Order: sequence, then structure tokens, then C-alpha cells
Amino acid sequence: MGLSTLQPPTKINLKGIVIFLLSWSFFVLIPIAGLLLWSFLTMENFRPVWDLSLQAYREVFASGRWEVTARTLGIASLVTLLEIVLALPFALWLSKGTKNMGLKITVLAALTIPFFLSLSARTIVWRALLGLHGPVNYALMATGVIDGPLDWLLFSQFSVILGLIGPYFPTMVFPLYLSINLIDDEMLAASTDLGATPGFTFWHVILPLAFPGLGAGIIFTFVPMIGDSVVPTLLGGGHVILLSASVESLLRILNYSVAAALSVVMLSIMVGVILVVSLVSTKIITSKSSALPEVTP
Amino acid sequence: MSNLPTKVYTATWSEHPVWKNLGLSLGIVALLLIYIPIFWLVLMSFTGDPLSGFPGNFTTKWYFSLGEHRNWLQPLFVSLAIASGVSLVSMVCATIVGRTVSRLRRKAMAVTVLAVTLLPLAIPGVIIGTALFLYFRVLLGFKMGVWSLCIGHFVWAFPFALLAVLVVALRFDPRLLDSAADLGAGPFERFWTIEFPLLKDGVIAGGLFAFLLSFNEIARSIYLKGRTETLPVYIWQQAASHSSHVVLIYSLNVLILIASTLLVGFAFRLLFGKNTQ
Repeated sequence: MGLSTLQPPTKINLKGIVIFLLSWSFFVLIPIAGLLLWSFLTMENFRPVWDLSLQAYREVFASGRWEVTARTLGIASLVTLLEIVLALPFALWLSKGTKNMGLKITVLAALTIPFFLSLSARTIVWRALLGLHGPVNYALMATGVIDGPLDWLLFSQFSVILGLIGPYFPTMVFPLYLSINLIDDEMLAASTDLGATPGFTFWHVILPLAFPGLGAGIIFTFVPMIGDSVVPTLLGGGHVILLSASVESLLRILNYSVAAALSVVMLSIMVGVILVVSLVSTKIITSKSSALPEVTP
Repeated sequence: MSNLPTKVYTATWSEHPVWKNLGLSLGIVALLLIYIPIFWLVLMSFTGDPLSGFPGNFTTKWYFSLGEHRNWLQPLFVSLAIASGVSLVSMVCATIVGRTVSRLRRKAMAVTVLAVTLLPLAIPGVIIGTALFLYFRVLLGFKMGVWSLCIGHFVWAFPFALLAVLVVALRFDPRLLDSAADLGAGPFERFWTIEFPLLKDGVIAGGLFAFLLSFNEIARSIYLKGRTETLPVYIWQQAASHSSHVVLIYSLNVLILIASTLLVGFAFRLLFGKNTQ
């Protein structure tokens, strides 16, 4: 056999991936891009007409849908903030505060397993817990904290926020844990040896290096939360309408172009958040690391 | 506090042990918010009157009445069929994409392929559901059904399967294939006897993840189901409608939770178990 007939062995056959990417664009990318087109169409007698206009966007802003968007963003931002408050110290403890490998693996598994469990099953139970005659109200009354049952515990913004914290906690912890875990212990020791207080080390060494993780955490928590349909439906009880329910009702009344416009508004907000987060994190990383040599003795 | 023996170097407030405990306690709070509902769900499934919210009157009757009211069987079979199909296709596609991406010479190309294929991770289910609905139902005029659920679930599950395959594919040493080729193995033999056995665990784990993600999917299913009912949608509708069957949902969910937990545990052992041995 002549050497010239031999193919370089590691050369990979690209046929499979090309076919996959073509079907992927047909099934995923084109439909998503198509939302943009839909949002500029006008609806006439429940049928889209090829008459490009901003009508659908005007309707999004004119009808109550704008309030829904603002409420969704407000709740999602608040819960994301709460997740940061809970997850940042926890991730720090998990990556640097404990040396017990078995405990670490157990905690990481405990954070991962619920992700694959049915969200509706985990959410329904809050109804029994938070209801007027539920255990939480009972315990509060029995201990004399309150006189009558609290009616804002369930089917309120409170219950939606409480219900969102659990399911979206792991998506904040994991990126933070991974980025803090990558920080070399010796770098932290060096910082201490050079006379930095732990607070200084946290602010000028850990936080800048953990910022990519924080950014990823914000994106992976905030973005899917905007579109969550299970928690607001089950725990909002019709009082807390969020974007997903709004889009669903639009599709039910066949108002396709406004549904598309609302989706595009959502997508743009998300792209905006992603851009801001990545810009801020690059800026912080560069400014902190350039400031570091000047302030270290 | 002032009675605590203080070491010389813990002069600053930021070194106080309270911070270490704070991190741990905040994590415990969050884990409780995750696990209290799961624990309560199990408790309620054995409770005589679960709608009261209080445990007590422990009984297994709800599990037995699941056998009498079999409305959930049909949705269960639909969900199982869809999840198996999605899982199988995800495994094949994730293997193709994963092994190719990890060996692409041009980094920019690999990053582009990954960005495009992992995109659905960053898009809420509502938007994907709406986009697919408008595209297939309204634009192309297809009737929604099992096939559209499969597509929607695949779009959601595939990125996770790909990530699982990448975990093992990035560890794979392509020089093994060079040696196999030198020894005269053909392309298929190289793949089947050398590469696939090493990728297998990641592929199976990815398949299990895809199965579970499809099996529990709601957000996209609402838009894509047509008249088909999957189990999570059935449970969700029962729960949202305050129907009398809502008590059965607890026991049904517990059974699903147990099965899912076992599958996740198995997948994790395949993916990461060998590193710790």
C-alpha cells in the first residue's frame, strides 16, 4: 500500500456535524429568528398579513402587558439578588471553607439532583404548607407571633418569590463555586502574607477572579426565571401574572404578532442583561487587576 | 462574644468565624427551601388527609388508589415514549457533535458550533415554545402532537446531553486513533473499538439526563402538545384545577421522584464515579 493513499488518521469526518447543524438551524435557529419577523406582521381577522408595522409593539406597550413585563423583571431581579446573597458566601465556604471532600460531593449532588426532578411536583407542596390553614400559619399562630392567619403567604408575590428561590439556587451556586474553586490557595495565602486583611483579599483578589462565575450565575438564574411558567401559575393563583402566562394567553386568543413581539421584548431584555453583565465583569476584572499592584505593599 | 479566646492575629472583624458559619448557614437555608417541599411531598403522600397540609393518619391508601384511578397511565406512556425517543436521538447527536467539536482544529469554529448548539440553555422555555409553535403550527400549518413535543424536548435536552459527552470527549486522546490507524484499523473499527468505549459513559449519562429533562418538561410542552397529554402536563393541570384527584398527585409524584433520583444517581456514577476511585 502506497503511503499517499493513507489519510491522516485524526482527520475527522465533518459530514455528520454538517447535517446536524443544518437540521438544527431548520428546527431551532430559524424559528427563533422568525419571532422577529412575526413581531412586525399585522394581524387581520386572526391571520397574519404581510404588512410590516410596529403595531404589535404598540399593543405590547399600550395594553397591560407592559406592566406584566415590569413585574416579571422586578420579581426576577429581586430573586436573582437574593440568590447572590445566599450563594456567594455559600460558594466561598464550599470551595475554600471546607476541606471535607465527601461533604463537598454530597452538597454538589444535593444541588444537582433537584434539577432533574419535576418542578411542578416540588412547587405544588408549597400550597399545602403556606395555605390559610397550613402548617406555617398554624405554627405562627401557635407561637403567638400573629393573631389570625396571614392571607398573603399564598397566591401572592411573596409565595412566588419564595417558590422561585429554591429551584434557581443551584444555577447561581455552581458557576460561583467553579470560579472560586479555580483560585489558587497559594494566591490567597500570598495575599495574607503581604499583609492584606481577609476583607481586602475578598474584595481585591477573590471577587474579581470570581466575577466571571457571578456573571454566568446571573445569566443562568435570571434568564430562565423570566420565562418560568410553573411557579407563578401554581403559587401566584392568578394574582401574579408573569410574562409566560401573558404570552400563553395571547397565543390562545390567536394574537400571534403581539405574542411574538412580547417574546422579542423578552429576548432583547435578556440580551441586554447578558451584554451588561459581561461588560461589567470584564471592566471589573481589568480595573481590579490593574489597581492591584498599586495598593499592595 | 468577649469571652471567646481571641488569637493574636484575628484582629479584624472580617476574620471572625461568624463569616465561615454565615456561608454555611445561608447554604443550609437555601437547601432547606429546596428540600422541605420534597420532604413534605413524601410525607403528604402517606397522610390520610393531605389537603389539610398537616401530616398524620398515616396510610398507604393513596398508593393503592393510584391503581384504581388509572387516568395517569396514558399520559405516563406518552411521556415515557417521548422521553425514550428524545434520549436516543440526543445520544446519537451528542456523540456526533461532541466528538467532532472536541477535535476541531480551528478554535473559533468550535466556539461557534458550541454557542449555536448550547443556545437553548440561555433561552426561556416560553420563547422556544412560542417560536416553535408559530413556526410549525401557524407558518407551516402542521398539526401539533407527539412529534412537535419530541422536537421541543429535544431542543431542551440536547445541550445537556452534549455537555455530558463533552466531559468525556475532551479527556479523549486522539493519538489513540492514530495508533489504531497505524495498526490497520478502518475508520469504523477505530470508532467502535477505541473511541466509543471511552465515550460510552458520557453518552449514557447524557442520554439519562435527556430522558429526565424530557420526562419532566412543562414550559415548552404547553405550546407544543396539541391534544397530546404528557404526564407533567396532566399533573400540572390536575393541580391547577383543584380537582378531587389532586391527592393522588402526591403519591404519583413521589414514585416519579424516586425513579428520577435513582436515574440521576446512576448517571452521576457513570460520569464522575471513575475519577474518585
